[in-house]
Amino acid sequence: MSNAPAEEIPAEEIDLTEANEIIDKYLTLPGNLMPVLQGIQDAYGFVPKPTIDLVAERLNVYPSQIYGVLTFYAQFHLKPRGKFIIRVCVGTACHVQGAERITETFFGRLGIGHAETTEDLRYTFEKVACLGACGMAPLAMVNDDTYGKMTVQKVDEIIETYNARPMK
Amino acid sequence: MVNLTIDGKQVAVEKDATIYDAAKACGIKIPILCHDKKLHPFGGCRMCLVEVEQMKGRLIPSCTTPVTEGMIVQTTTDEIVKARKLVLELLLLKHPIDCPVCDAAGDCDLQNLTYEYKVNMNRFVDEKFNHEIDYENPLIERDMNRCIHCGKCARICDEIVSYGAYTFINRGIEAKMGTEFDGPLNCEFCGSCVSVCPVGALNSRPFKFKARWWALQKTKSVCSYCGTGCQLTLGSKDGKVLTTIYDENQGFHNGQLCTRGRFGYQFVNSDKRLTAPLIRKNGKLQEATWEEALAEVTSRLSAGKSDPASVAALATPRLTNEELFLFEKLFRGTVGTDNIDHSAGFAHEALTKGAVASFGVAASPAEIADVQKSKLLLVVKSDAYETHPVIGFEINLGVKRKGIALRIVSDKKGKLTRLPGAKTTVHAPGSEVALFNALCKSVIDQGLAVEGVAGLDALKAAVADASAEKAGVTAEEIAALAKDFASAEKALIILPIGQGYPGHNAALANAAANLAILTGQVGKEGAGLLIMGEKNNSQGAVDMGIYPKGTGLNAAAILDGCANGNVKTLFVAGENPVVSYPNRKKVEKALENVEFMVVSDLFLTETAAMADVVLPACSFAEKSGTFTSLGRRVQNVRKAIPAVGLAKSDFEILNAISQALGGAGYNNQGEVFTEIAATVPAYKGLTQACLKDEGAVYPVALSAKLVPVAAKAAAPAAGKLALVTGSALYHCGTMSRFGEGPMYVCPDAYAELNVADAAALKIGEGDQVTVTSGTGAVQVAVKVGKRVPQGVVFSPYHFGEGSVNTITDGSEVTYVTVAKK
Ligand code: SF4
Ligand code: SF4
Ligand code: SF4
Ligand code: FES
Ligand code: FES
Repeated sequence: MSNAPAEEIPAEEIDLTEANEIIDKYLTLPGNLMPVLQGIQDAYGFVPKPTIDLVAERLNVYPSQIYGVLTFYAQFHLKPRGKFIIRVCVGTACHVQGAERITETFFGRLGIGHAETTEDLRYTFEKVACLGACGMAPLAMVNDDTYGKMTVQKVDEIIETYNARPMK
Repeated sequence: MVNLTIDGKQVAVEKDATIYDAAKACGIKIPILCHDKKLHPFGGCRMCLVEVEQMKGRLIPSCTTPVTEGMIVQTTTDEIVKARKLVLELLLLKHPIDCPVCDAAGDCDLQNLTYEYKVNMNRFVDEKFNHEIDYENPLIERDMNRCIHCGKCARICDEIVSYGAYTFINRGIEAKMGTEFDGPLNCEFCGSCVSVCPVGALNSRPFKFKARWWALQKTKSVCSYCGTGCQLTLGSKDGKVLTTIYDENQGFHNGQLCTRGRFGYQFVNSDKRLTAPLIRKNGKLQEATWEEALAEVTSRLSAGKSDPASVAALATPRLTNEELFLFEKLFRGTVGTDNIDHSAGFAHEALTKGAVASFGVAASPAEIADVQKSKLLLVVKSDAYETHPVIGFEINLGVKRKGIALRIVSDKKGKLTRLPGAKTTVHAPGSEVALFNALCKSVIDQGLAVEGVAGLDALKAAVADASAEKAGVTAEEIAALAKDFASAEKALIILPIGQGYPGHNAALANAAANLAILTGQVGKEGAGLLIMGEKNNSQGAVDMGIYPKGTGLNAAAILDGCANGNVKTLFVAGENPVVSYPNRKKVEKALENVEFMVVSDLFLTETAAMADVVLPACSFAEKSGTFTSLGRRVQNVRKAIPAVGLAKSDFEILNAISQALGGAGYNNQGEVFTEIAATVPAYKGLTQACLKDEGAVYPVALSAKLVPVAAKAAAPAAGKLALVTGSALYHCGTMSRFGEGPMYVCPDAYAELNVADAAALKIGEGDQVTVTSGTGAVQVAVKVGKRVPQGVVFSPYHFGEGSVNTITDGSEVTYVTVAKK
């Protein structure tokens, strides 16, 4: 399909400059849809709808197909995500070590459930299957930091720590 | 050819055939669910499994496996039947058994195969799907609980329609056929997806709960909207057309239809239809008997016989050939007037004057089949797709599947512009002739002209000062386009004409023909010029001679005659000049002034409302006859339902009047066709019986000649925008306003502005604006986008409210101001 040159597209609330730059970078490369979507996700933290329309227009792909790709790969997110992604493992080892209580505690403290994001966009919470460190079960991760041998008390410590971190 | 054996039968097929094709060719039925002959093979459902001796040990899908020499195929062993049963059981696992309330029942492949394979119990159990049903539009209901994931809807919407509304979304058990953001369906509503869905997942809402499939009476006929001439099957019951039925074997288009053909039939059953004659008494139209009404009309016309110049008649190119023939015979023959015309004159002059001068015949030298046989298509106006959508589908298919090069010259962009490899030259509004002249000059300058064509010297002289700049494009664009066109093995120009395109007249047809003739792109298959008439029988109207000859007045002059009192009696068969002819005020004044006007129509149109006598006419579904499509294909129209109310066909009306005036009378329309075949040279030897279901393309004998035409320079008016008119997606004339489909896709008039112009004028999407020209002003809503270039406004012409003909006067471009109301 032919690729359209950059044209001005009215932005709905979000600034599309960066998305346009990412598209520019891959515009003429074959198989550019995945890297473009990954680039956009990196830049915006998720893939906002206006960027889907932009990518559709500029790469001449149907928006529906992009949506199909985005929902197929678990790596993509269609809603804003928190600055801190809390993952609690509910794999077999963690489960038997009481992962359920850890997740329940997070739910209670943060007021959000699985795959949800706090309104202030500070936290996103996700239950995940085996994080690959079963020896430290039950396990939690906040972005790239790992917390093993989780307890209810540690949940509070984690929340205090990340509450204190700046948002920007 | 490849030879193979299927179930013991010897078969020889083309080498690109699949096993499924080969079996079908020799009458062996292999069940399919995800396969459709129009679509790329998918191989997703595993219903069509067969056994090939050379590949022992596994079952293979016949719909995706190409044949090879000496293959020995079995299509129904015990093992195959077992496998198919398993496929069905698995499909039925999550599928709700909704048959009692499903509109597809009786037409559902899953239901039929379940019956055929006697799957009366399931070894597995699972929960049924629980997807929300999409009821959010009035045309297509999507119940994904019934979906069997065959992917046909997504494939047809991508491969043929090129809209791409659907895709598989999510994964694994969550996977389903969805749309962008899993939202409601928002598309062109052509219904293609509904037609190919093998189950009841996609349904036509207007047909919902109207009838069971087996109770429908099926009548093969021809669509009555545009000149493409798609064949369709009407499903009717109890005197009403309830739906159109998909038949993949019907017509050049394999059953494909646009929204008008698929969902636009409701005008037939509209409660706004006229059901009794009306006569104006004390200034008001009042119901009358046919005797009264016809007596009034015939006495008026017979008085007119002594002063034929005071009589004029306009006919819509929606009538059948037989009716138009009778119309011509009545007015030109019996009454003796030459004042007859259709579609405001200009809309068909491309054929009657342009094609005649360039090719020696009043028809296109190409036919629709040439679209896919070409190597390069040059489409004039990006919205050829919107005026003739099914030809748009042919273009899509040609470009995507066969790699046909696509070039577009247009005053705005459109869907075709986005096809793979398409190149669009956006020219200044109204400069089509200048552009073709510049192309011809470039062909000559580049030494690409064929030697010795008639009229070359005159053309050379005429285009000597043609230039790209005059058309508002660059010299490089012209040179490249001229070269591509001339050097293509076969190149075809596609030129839509119609009431919305005032510049698409004889001069443009000549200018375009010049390019084709100059480059030798004519007189061979896949090449030439396809002039696409707007209405279902535009070509027939020309063939039957519904245009002024000799000293006769054309439509514009007829209206002038009404205004100045020279024309005293006006007979209008199905035309709606008030909305569709240029300069509405002038038309209204003229019609108010004419002494006696009779209108036959399906509806009390804006024009009929002004008449002295209104005759209720039949729709295409209530009569038989023939239409001739833009590709010169003469096709049978067949009566599906009885006339609504007291309506009579135009054949009956004209026949009665003709007899009352002492003219010829006919027992049925078939007799008229016999006479057509005897007197209209192109139709020589045709019979309605020999037309059968496919129809027949009549031949043309070309004598191609270059006809120089001067380009009129439309001088831009400072500070104003150029208004170009045309067709809105899926409307056609003013009749589609009575069809549910088109009215859902586009219910109201609008003006489309470029984002930059809109910003400068501080106008936003949906704002009401006043568009003002020298002849008047009209209020419409605004669409903002990038399809139209800066400095241009586009507006469709079909609507009674916000009718753009209030502000146009028939010139190529109208300069207007646009201001927020
Ligand atoms: S109705 Fe036509 S445009 Fe809409 S989804 Fe179906 S095939 Fe696509
Ligand atoms: S909706 Fe119909 S056509 Fe589309 S995938 Fe499902 S079953 Fe097939
Ligand atoms: S309106 Fe034209 S393109 Fe659409 S179905 Fe009818 S004949 Fe075909
Ligand atoms: S089960 Fe939790 S880390 Fe493996
Ligand atoms: S019809 Fe062959 S796999 Fe579906």
